[in-house]
Amino acid sequence: MTQTQSFGLLNIGENLKLDLDREHWVCGRCAQDLGSGRENVKHGLLVGEREPSDIHPPLIEGGEFSFSPNAEWVRILEFYCPGCGAQIETEYLPPGHPVTHTTEIDIDSLKARLTRGEIVIEEGHLKVVTP
Amino acid sequence: MSYPTVAEKLAALKVTPATAHEIACMELVSRGAYEIAVQRTADILDEGYEIFMRSSRSSMGVAGDSIVAMFNAHGDLVNASAGTYLHAIIPPIVIKYILRKYSENPGIHDGDIFYTNDALYGGIHNPDQTAIMPVFHKGELVAWTAALSHTTETGACEPGGMPLSATSRFDEGMNLPPMKIGRDFRINNDIIELFSAFGIRAEANVTVDLKARCTTADRVRLRLVEMCEREGPDFVTGLFRKMLIEAETGARRRLMTWPDGVYRCVNFSDAAGLQRGLIRNSYLTMTKRGDHLTLDFDGTSPENLSSYNAHPQAVVGHLANYIYEYVFHDLPISSATFAPIDFLFPEASCLSPTPRAATSNAVMICTGAMSGIANCISRARFPSEEWRQATASMGNGGNAPVIAGTSQWQMPFADMIAYTINTEGQGARCTHDGMDAYGFPWCAFGRAPDVESMENEFPMLVPFSQHWPDSGGHGKYRGGCGTTQFWSAHHVPVLHFLSIADNSSLQTPQPLFGGYAPPTVPGLTLKDTRVSELLAKLEDRALDFHALVRGEFGEVVTEPNGRSARPIEGDKTIAVLMSTGGAGYGDPLDRDPLLVQKDLVAGLCSEWSAREIYKVVWDAARARVDLAATDTLRAEARAARLKRGKPYQEFEKEWSTRRPPESILNLYGSWPDAKPVNPVFRP
Repeated sequence: MTQTQSFGLLNIGENLKLDLDREHWVCGRCAQDLGSGRENVKHGLLVGEREPSDIHPPLIEGGEFSFSPNAEWVRILEFYCPGCGAQIETEYLPPGHPVTHTTEIDIDSLKARLTRGEIVIEEGHLKVVTP
Repeated sequence: MSYPTVAEKLAALKVTPATAHEIACMELVSRGAYEIAVQRTADILDEGYEIFMRSSRSSMGVAGDSIVAMFNAHGDLVNASAGTYLHAIIPPIVIKYILRKYSENPGIHDGDIFYTNDALYGGIHNPDQTAIMPVFHKGELVAWTAALSHTTETGACEPGGMPLSATSRFDEGMNLPPMKIGRDFRINNDIIELFSAFGIRAEANVTVDLKARCTTADRVRLRLVEMCEREGPDFVTGLFRKMLIEAETGARRRLMTWPDGVYRCVNFSDAAGLQRGLIRNSYLTMTKRGDHLTLDFDGTSPENLSSYNAHPQAVVGHLANYIYEYVFHDLPISSATFAPIDFLFPEASCLSPTPRAATSNAVMICTGAMSGIANCISRARFPSEEWRQATASMGNGGNAPVIAGTSQWQMPFADMIAYTINTEGQGARCTHDGMDAYGFPWCAFGRAPDVESMENEFPMLVPFSQHWPDSGGHGKYRGGCGTTQFWSAHHVPVLHFLSIADNSSLQTPQPLFGGYAPPTVPGLTLKDTRVSELLAKLEDRALDFHALVRGEFGEVVTEPNGRSARPIEGDKTIAVLMSTGGAGYGDPLDRDPLLVQKDLVAGLCSEWSAREIYKVVWDAARARVDLAATDTLRAEARAARLKRGKPYQEFEKEWSTRRPPESILNLYGSWPDAKPVNPVFRP
């Protein structure tokens, strides 16, 4: 890898990119910096905890089983970009359950493959270079 | 007892190394001949699949919940026709067991028929049964064939083959280790009698399905013998080895397109059989390095004293549902595509239980693994050039109603009616909504029966059958909607009903990239309503789902969706059945308002969801969305998120002090890491 080589932005999710040059997460909607790409991206996002009935309203009044998840069993966590409010991730978890580190890209491996010319980034996605 | 160990079963999934003879035989297969012959294998298998469905008797077999497969002489899967992919991956375990254990006694001869349905020996669960035949050409073993399908009666402690109240394998009825059930191309009569005895609740289903499997395996065998006659046995041997090599090469090439990394998904369910409680039914850590995947389920909840456990190869089968359907869809259905994938299962977990465990509801506990694999692989694929293949999880509800009794034709029956399971919504795709009523996540090609067929076959009336609005998880692209049906008992004084289901308190699938999961599913019925009287009173009014849950047609009774066997009087409601929708993809505020409009007009989205989830301003009188007002409302919604959202560290500090009520942690294991806390006692 040369010092001048630029890798660019890689799409990681619908509203999430990885800036491989700065090794930082970036909001795909507003380009807000979301922290180190070697950390769990959720650490750089705002978290909104929602009542399950906010999203899945009960269709039957008064009963325990109403088409709406039980708030004692599960909560809905929404993860927002602090710059624009885009909802980048959601996770359904029992209250207090550790938040999942869902995506850990091996940045070193990725850069090595890009440097070797095995793959390139085209329109935000990896493309394998056919010899 | 000599059932294979977990390590032996997982090893048997791997392709046997090529022999020098096989390598030499590959020289006989030119590039052009290879292309033609591969298609020929597919044609043979499709013929077998068609015969299989037409010959089967039980609802699942008729729906196509089956697979027809061919194997090389070592027992490695070369190609298959589905059906359900989960059946495909496991026969190599059984064939290799037969080769290892039975070559001398009882021997392996032309015309032999082998059979098994025991998950301890390599099956999925005991309703899933396998007929296997060796293919001989002039005395030489050149291949194997198999036909697998699900028969909904096994003589267990409850009808339907998947008993909710089973606590050990001893409650689950017929469990046959691999055994020879026929010779000289005929099934032994004593074996047919054995099946009749275990299948006494639905003898026709059980014995006809047995014969259908054997007939199908034999037809594929016959076609392979013809191929040997025409091309020579060495050509077939070379072809099969070349197919395995090509499939593995294709699989490894595909994995190389994804970035290396670690991807995780955690999933939960709310019941094990009739016991309610929180279960971490899958904690999947997928590590991708180069052209290799490791799927590690460490952190999954312990085994439990119900039938909601799955032996590891059954879990692999459930992963195959997604992997064959979405990842290797353009490669042969082959053992070789799994060559680059290794699996790790924690001992004594619900995904690797001890031998005496009940596992007849393996398909229900595996919903977490099915959802987790979709989520992890989609995260790994999205950065690649295959990003369009990323999808949110299927709903994976598997809500399976069973009815039993004596039919209007005076026939004993016990069957899982295939409509509800075969009309789930597909998980949202990253460029489109999931398909509505797409099918059965366990069986991509399964077909829902016509209502008229159901009413003709069984003593039931189906007054409505419709899409279930809002049942797909919301998102930029929403999960496909499931369906709902209303069933009443008809033509008979009484029948029995039970429901194999869970997730009335939470849903298993995790959404993808900011979408939402589907809603939960209660057990639902109308109390004491005589359906003939209800229909007479309706006059021109339609019997509609929303009006029904509002109580406009009688008192609505709800309970957990997993329901034990109970009698239903004639003309009374059996149940209102729900088929789960798929999970959602992406931020709902990014959804095209015109797609919301389309769903509103079609009745697939409620006005509540349009306003509260999608923040779309809907002019009901003009049946149009107001785009400018929608933009304003969405800007306000994003501002509201910024206001209520907490920085992660602040959130985590408060969140980590909480835990669910102790009363629902009875099945979970230790909190929060889900390690076993008490031994499971099965005398």
